[in-house]
Amino acid sequence: MRILAIDTSACPVSAALMEDGFLLGEFFLNTKTTHSQTLMPIVESLLRAAAVDIKDIDVFAVNTGPGSFTGVRIGTASVKGLSMPLDKPCASVSTLEAMAYGLPYDSGIACAVMDARCSQVYNALFRLNGHEPERLTDDRAVSIEDLADELAGYSERIYLAGDGAELCARAFDGRLTNVVLPPQNIRYQHAYGTACAAQRLIRENRLLSSDALMPLYLRLPQAERELKKKQSGGKPDQ
Amino acid sequence: MQRFLSSSPEETEQIAERLAKTLSGNEVIAMFGGLGAGKTAFTRGLARGLGAGDCVSSPTFALVNEYEGRFPIYHFDMYRVATYDDLYTTGFFDYLGSGIMVIEWSENIEGLLPDEKMTVTIRPVSEEQREITIEGAQTI
Repeated sequence: MRILAIDTSACPVSAALMEDGFLLGEFFLNTKTTHSQTLMPIVESLLRAAAVDIKDIDVFAVNTGPGSFTGVRIGTASVKGLSMPLDKPCASVSTLEAMAYGLPYDSGIACAVMDARCSQVYNALFRLNGHEPERLTDDRAVSIEDLADELAGYSERIYLAGDGAELCARAFDGRLTNVVLPPQNIRYQHAYGTACAAQRLIRENRLLSSDALMPLYLRLPQAERELKKKQSGGKPDQ
Repeated sequence: MQRFLSSSPEETEQIAERLAKTLSGNEVIAMFGGLGAGKTAFTRGLARGLGAGDCVSSPTFALVNEYEGRFPIYHFDMYRVATYDDLYTTGFFDYLGSGIMVIEWSENIEGLLPDEKMTVTIRPVSEEQREITIEGAQTI
């Protein structure tokens, strides 16, 4: 069973190739380049270097959200395009869950956070056990303040992951002493985590066809209120 | 805060061209001012000052136009943007930090503009004259 996994959900871009649970190769880039220009060369060079033909991929996995509007669309559309002509199934993975799979700890809480702006983050919590992360919350948009309050209820170590990790570490500083900022090679979402999460979806028979694969966005009700507040009262004099 | 008085669209463009010389490549320029104030004229001057030539057209329908000058220029029009989802689906947040963002009708997204920004307010004084106020920029 060969899985090609990709992630373009935020600033980093990555692709991973997994065969029967063994990571054959991974390509990770965290520059400001446009994913629409970097993803295909990355996939192509990874496959070529690993001497694997695209036709030999059994499952295409992708982080379908949460994430940046454009990033999530690029990833989802690319996997649709790769899988459709080969008539292969797709694994729709939560970016936050993929991050939790990337943390190599056998206990503690994974706190996956992506910067959603307006002092909010996309977040989910998982309990780590060294095997498969156990989900504690749904994927959600939450204010950093509310998240800090919720995390105060956990006494074990809390590992931050994602592009909101530094932001949260700063916000939690002094309030939560059990928060850990892991090293960069595991802090951000990697397609390796996406491939791991896809293995579970395969086992649980939860794969999708190319045409059923969709970007999954989370709503930000607080940002909506923020916008309305200013629209009704903040117009400059004309 | 810097104040200028412009007597024509050409003069408005010249003021914008001067502002363009001070930019370093990833600024957010929030523009305020109603219909016919001269926001597009200002953007035209800005793009020319950034070496993009005469390429500016109003992005009212496209929501965002991209121009290539010394830096990438992303020209937004928020006239039809009414909700957070509208804004999110223009890709607005994905553009931040990747070039110069010029935003017409910033009134509509004021609550979600980044803290780090320049504002340009164009106010009609008479039929021809405009008062242009620039905040958060170097002296031009």
